[in-house]
Amino acid sequence: MTGMAALQQAGHLTVAGASKRFGAALVLDDLSLAVAKGEFVSLLGPSGCGKTTLLRCIAGLLRPDAGHISVAGRDITTLPAHRRNVGVVFQNYALFPHLTVAENIAFGLRAQGVSKSESAPRVAEALALVRMTEHAGKPVTALSGGQQQRVAVARALVVRPSLLLLDEPFSALDRKLRETMQVELKHLLREVGITAIFVTHDQEEALVVSDRIAVMNAGRIEQLADPATLYGRPASLYVLDFVGQSTRLAGQVTEAAGGMLAVQTALGPVRAPGQFAPGSRVVVAVRPEAVVLGEAAENRIAARVREVSFLGSRTQLHLDLPEEGEDRGVVELPRLPEGIGPGSAVTLAFREADTMVFPAP
Amino acid sequence: MSATALAAPATPAPARRLDPLALLALPGLAFLGVVFLLPLLLLLWSSIRGAEGFSLQGYVRVLGDPYYVGVIGASLQLGLVTTLGALLLGYPAAFALARAKGGWQVLLFALVFLPLTVSIIVKSFGWGIVLRRDGILNWAMLNLGLIERPVRMIFTEGALYAGMINVFLPFMVLPIYSVVRMMDPRLPDAAATLGASPWFRFTRVTLPLSLPGVVAGVSLVFSLAVAAYVTPSLLMGDRYMTMSMVMAKAFLNLRDWQLGAAMAAVLLAVAAFVVVGASVLQRRLGGR
Repeated sequence: MTGMAALQQAGHLTVAGASKRFGAALVLDDLSLAVAKGEFVSLLGPSGCGKTTLLRCIAGLLRPDAGHISVAGRDITTLPAHRRNVGVVFQNYALFPHLTVAENIAFGLRAQGVSKSESAPRVAEALALVRMTEHAGKPVTALSGGQQQRVAVARALVVRPSLLLLDEPFSALDRKLRETMQVELKHLLREVGITAIFVTHDQEEALVVSDRIAVMNAGRIEQLADPATLYGRPASLYVLDFVGQSTRLAGQVTEAAGGMLAVQTALGPVRAPGQFAPGSRVVVAVRPEAVVLGEAAENRIAARVREVSFLGSRTQLHLDLPEEGEDRGVVELPRLPEGIGPGSAVTLAFREADTMVFPAP
Repeated sequence: MSATALAAPATPAPARRLDPLALLALPGLAFLGVVFLLPLLLLLWSSIRGAEGFSLQGYVRVLGDPYYVGVIGASLQLGLVTTLGALLLGYPAAFALARAKGGWQVLLFALVFLPLTVSIIVKSFGWGIVLRRDGILNWAMLNLGLIERPVRMIFTEGALYAGMINVFLPFMVLPIYSVVRMMDPRLPDAAATLGASPWFRFTRVTLPLSLPGVVAGVSLVFSLAVAAYVTPSLLMGDRYMTMSMVMAKAFLNLRDWQLGAAMAAVLLAVAAFVVVGASVLQRRLGGR
């Protein structure tokens, strides 16, 4: 229990040792998480990693088989959803189709017995907050996707929840609108000063909206860190692959001294900081933008370009790697040098400090 | 062949008031006209034709004679009780059916809808076998020592209601099910996270959204039950006369066409009132 107490002190939201089993599948596996007041944390992972289950447990729509959940120091593990004061923005929003925009937003206030005279100004305030005042009387079925999302956010915020959960809030929007809404929503929630948990499978979205990201894998949190750390110093190959792209090469440690490793890969020797015994099978990796063409850094490898992808602000080179398997080559350049295309032989250089080493899977 | 000949016709077809597809309804309409509308007009004609020409005697008797007024009341009561019973049993069943998964749903579907494939006469006879003095239910209760002498169940109103609800239950479940199936199951969840108690969730979210199905089911079951003939005849006989039974008697035994036709017209008016009222209500509910 002392661990629990320590976690509770640390976080506004605390999940301690939560497990949940559906039949034979262990969907949450002794998971712990602490989120500070006002913080935005993303639960990032592929479908089936348990992120939505964790969200539903926090909301009170599911009860974990083991573990405790507390908000603001109060243990809410066994409390039903309607007594938790935890707001949820559902995937596809789950707006009440038989009610207008204003009635949707007023729903929670009416459910909690707030008088009409008190709720009217609060609904008006929430409508203004999401810039939906002029649509107050419309049926929600007449709204666009972005407008529906705003109503869902206003509906959840108007009851002043102690925590807001958002389940894939942008997945129903098209790409352009999604990018706008991500920034808009982040700004809005920051202004309100609420603690928020986003569930998403989209790593770019997680990087944009979060203060910290919890990368989930098979019911556990693989790494919980701020976006820059997660991207620059992934704790595992799983995180490396899930967040961003990389060039990764399997290899074997040939030399280890003073915190530096020499690793023999299929494309030649590479040096990197790390702690592995000589002979260990490892994977070395480097992020696409840490690689330059030429010889301007310590590590150099020769490769052939398989495909070139123009992405507007940058260009990606996909490399032909000699070996089948997990090896991958992705390099990003601000602009494509003259004369380089599919089939070109190139020399890639990257700094030792930018090179990461993971134990081979 | 020239390029212009290959191009799509430049002049748009003149706008027609009637979609040509509507013509496809003509054969069906003609059929209904012959087998339904014509007999209906003849029936209405019979109801106002006495021995010496035009007369409203049939209606005077049906709506004035305490016996026939009692029959109309009994039919309405049977319709109401059956509808209420079917609603109480069918509403939760429709939800179970809509929310059940995989094999369970198949099983529940079979339980609700297989009885429809059994003739109503067979079903009503079946209830007779179950409820008879020497029937299965009495036999079982006697052997279990629950009762000392057989209880009279058949030819009681309770037995009639049980049989009627059994026969018409699927007609309540199906329309409610089809509405509930389209309902987002996360809506009650969303209401819960907003602080709504289970009762508030039901009365403000689930019930209003399922109401169109309820209205359809109620109007369907009521109009069927109020016109019931076979089930009351077999389970109650002359002890519980319904409008349909009076009609049958008037036409087949008494050869009093005017009486039968007048009763039929009253029944038709009751059913039409319910069905039209329901569709108006439904349009209003669906208008949102």
